[in-house]
Amino acid sequence: MTNMIEIKNLKKSFKVITKEPGLRGYINAIIRPKHKIVNAVNGISMTIKKGELVAFIGPNGAGKSTTLKMLSGILYPDSGTIKIDGLNPQKDRIKLAYRMGTIFGQKPQLWYHLPAIDTFYLFSKIYDMDPEIYKKRLEYLIEKFDIKEFMDQPVRKLSLGQRMRCEFVLALLHKPQILFLDEPTIGLDIVVKKNIREIIKKINKEEKVTILLTSHDVGDIEDVANRVVIINRGIIVYNGTFSNLRKEYLNKKKIKIISETPVVFNNHSATKIINQSKYSLDLEVDLTKTSLKEIIDIIMKNNKIEDISIEDPEIEEIIEDIYNGKEMKITRCG
Amino acid sequence: MWLSKYLAIAKINFKNEFTYFWDFLFDSVFIAIIIFIYSQLWAILFSTGHYSDISGYTLAMLVWYLVMTESIIDFISYVVDNIGDDIKQGNIANYLNKPYNYIIYIYTIHIVMGFVSLILTFLLGSIVAAVTVGGFSFNFLNIPFILITIFLAMSMNLLIMTFLGLFAFWMEDVSAVNFIYQKFVFIIGGTLIPLEFFPEWLAKISSFLPFSYLAYYPAKLFINFNLHQFLDVVAVQILWCIVFIFLILFIYKKAIKKVSINGG
Repeated sequence: MTNMIEIKNLKKSFKVITKEPGLRGYINAIIRPKHKIVNAVNGISMTIKKGELVAFIGPNGAGKSTTLKMLSGILYPDSGTIKIDGLNPQKDRIKLAYRMGTIFGQKPQLWYHLPAIDTFYLFSKIYDMDPEIYKKRLEYLIEKFDIKEFMDQPVRKLSLGQRMRCEFVLALLHKPQILFLDEPTIGLDIVVKKNIREIIKKINKEEKVTILLTSHDVGDIEDVANRVVIINRGIIVYNGTFSNLRKEYLNKKKIKIISETPVVFNNHSATKIINQSKYSLDLEVDLTKTSLKEIIDIIMKNNKIEDISIEDPEIEEIIEDIYNGKEMKITRCG
Repeated sequence: MWLSKYLAIAKINFKNEFTYFWDFLFDSVFIAIIIFIYSQLWAILFSTGHYSDISGYTLAMLVWYLVMTESIIDFISYVVDNIGDDIKQGNIANYLNKPYNYIIYIYTIHIVMGFVSLILTFLLGSIVAAVTVGGFSFNFLNIPFILITIFLAMSMNLLIMTFLGLFAFWMEDVSAVNFIYQKFVFIIGGTLIPLEFFPEWLAKISSFLPFSYLAYYPAKLFINFNLHQFLDVVAVQILWCIVFIFLILFIYKKAIKKVSINGG
């Protein structure tokens, strides 16, 4: 397979004016502004093959969006090279725009006061689509995303999930070969998130679109991406398959319970108690030693559960584990 | 092909503006009230009986002059802030990755708004003027000429504001720049009072600046058409448009490399 995206040693820094607190700091910032250089992206190299679905994850401010915006030609890198489908996104921005679709989760593209169908028509014109092709494509997408019922209503009256589905139709209208999704599920509830994840998978499979999506939530990309790239402070800390990530670093779950009766739990060899009070318990379960089911069974048997939640570790914890793991490997080698 | 793109943008924006119809109307009503107040003010001045005209303007001409300047100027006072917000809030990301030109996009959107607002304000203003001071002699054959100079005035105004809006790439907040610009248009541009009423030196300075071509000259041609002056005005308007197109291109090229998207 050929490469769709090639990035070599990409760097981008921003100059930020730092303000000290208080009126004095405010005045100082005007008279003698102090600049701080923030290295948002600090030497990233990677390749993505045609038709691949890659998740780009990292904590807030890790440089995900900055990278994505350089890939789509909006931002200019300080150094390094980008090739997308053989094109330079900064020089061939317009040419590339025809082959590319984008969704920035927090920056909707649908016209807020108008029905989605109006924006669809606008985009068909912006992308120079033949009216016949547009008609067929729209029919196909309407059915695929099941938006027929509400696409004639002003966008402001739609639910977040409905709106997101329309945003997807909009981004796919011109049949892009590459799709950039920046936090596409941010702010959505679990059901809608699941729905959107299914959609992303389906697009990737059926349309053979190369997809790069960002998220700050590991759980968010579970079952979606075949490959995961984790970025922290502008550098790549992990680049590999999701199943490998699960095996190596996502092998813990957090269980939180609230009990109606005082909590009864004898520490298991595969669990670590993080927090315990009379009626609540926070546990970390090591999945390499036991199954989640076993622990839950033990808890259920001895307690009268009022509330229970099971969570993946936070991205920050995984990154920490990755760093620790690296250090361990290094010491082992030495 | 490229034209149909911008036509579609103009069309959807026209549709969108109708959702703001009441805002528009309210704005126009407000301006109609201002026109009414000024008509009363001018009427008192003329009622002293010392003059039948001031610097060649009769009472009716003065009021109709104001109707026209307000109709042209009213619309796009927020273009600068709009562009500033696009840049600061990062919405520009959604414009820069499309196969169109952001500057022409901005122009198309606002010129449509300009004409919607022109028609509304002019209609309401005309009613006020007709009731308070009556009509004036107007040759309807001049309408196409006047529309041309109005179109150029609006284009000029839009280009200048786009130019100012682009400063948001370097400045925290462009609304102060906008505030100053609007005041210049209002005073030196002769929106409220024709330039003939100014001291000679100020009128002279003003003629070298773009402001008077945004409202004063089109309104003057409206109340007192003169083909010779029309050609002069149009020539200068086109010249200013070209100057600002070049300035925009120059600054936009630099700006685009400086983009930093806020908010993720």
